[in-house]
Amino acid sequence: MVDTKKIAVAGAAVVLVVILVTFATSYMSDFDTPRTSTNDDEFKTLELKQAPVLGSKTATVTIIEVGDYQCHMCKLWFEETRPQIIENYINTGKANLVFVDMPFLGSDSIPASEATYCADDQGKYWEYHSMLFTYQEDEIDGGWASATRLQAFAFNLGLDIEQFDKCMTTDDHYARVNYNRQVAVTEFGANSTPTFMIVNTLSGESQRVVGAHPYSTFENLIDSLI
Amino acid sequence: MNNIFGLVYSNPSYILITTGIFFLLFIPLIIISEFLFLEPFVVFSMYPETTLSFSLIVFLSILSSLAVSMNIYRVKLIKETKKIGSSIVGTIIGASAGACSCGPIAFSVITTFGTAGSIASSFLTIYEIPIRLTSIGILGIVIFVTAKSLSRECKMKF
Repeated sequence: MVDTKKIAVAGAAVVLVVILVTFATSYMSDFDTPRTSTNDDEFKTLELKQAPVLGSKTATVTIIEVGDYQCHMCKLWFEETRPQIIENYINTGKANLVFVDMPFLGSDSIPASEATYCADDQGKYWEYHSMLFTYQEDEIDGGWASATRLQAFAFNLGLDIEQFDKCMTTDDHYARVNYNRQVAVTEFGANSTPTFMIVNTLSGESQRVVGAHPYSTFENLIDSLI
Repeated sequence: MNNIFGLVYSNPSYILITTGIFFLLFIPLIIISEFLFLEPFVVFSMYPETTLSFSLIVFLSILSSLAVSMNIYRVKLIKETKKIGSSIVGTIIGASAGACSCGPIAFSVITTFGTAGSIASSFLTIYEIPIRLTSIGILGIVIFVTAKSLSRECKMKF
């Protein structure tokens, strides 16, 4: 007769090993990626798509944030670190910020990204971007970024709802969101959100930051690139 | 109960095992949960919103290391492996909570398993705190039962 206790212990051990291997491979792949580059191809790619820029377009440093509007760590970074970066680097013209969509967490992530570009058509990209992170809720695909809620956000920002609805129903920006997702994965090697590329736009030198790092990390990196 | 802890940890090798298991669990968990960053600098960061999560990781790591080391002692004493399985299960449950947030593990799970992976990742993220509390409960029970059992078995031995 098979000993069920032994099977349970063996099963638990197998699960533990799988978790450890997944953890190790996920994180080690991250370390294999070169951290610095003198190649400015990534930045050119973004320029091609005319991504909305927060701050001066002529700033020496560009912070590229790769994110998903349903990502909790992105919200944490948005609330805790971003305001200090805006105050000390973006408002002073030293740096600017670009957001690259990598919607992967749930089915509502893509429409949320599309909605930001529909808002951009009416000149309110960053306002809509901020609204999404401000009203983000814990549950992924829990309805907080449903079509109705996205429309309500647009209404609250005073957007032309008819134009916004048309933009959303015809998927005007789906290709752009999909393209950004590909750029995030292939060009920036992002496999989690938020991931940041901090680029000196003059020299092309760049640094990659993975995760919702505190302000001190960005302060050190931006100062070293200016 | 105190006598049992004294008995187990009077042997320095069990203190070493406990410390080792604690760090083996604690360090990966705080990296996964984005409290500790290794690149580009080693940075520790904790926001007010994540204090509870960090505290639960500390408790989970302490209880796991105690449960496993006490059960190793018990296995050596009576060659019975039942509760070490429970402590490993408790540890796995607690460790899996919150591991699938927006990190590379979630990305791997979602890209591999699609919608099912997304649902699993979402579940582990939303219920991170209750799952960790459940895990801490399981480990607490395991430690209590192990200590009771050791107390009984040691009396019989001596």
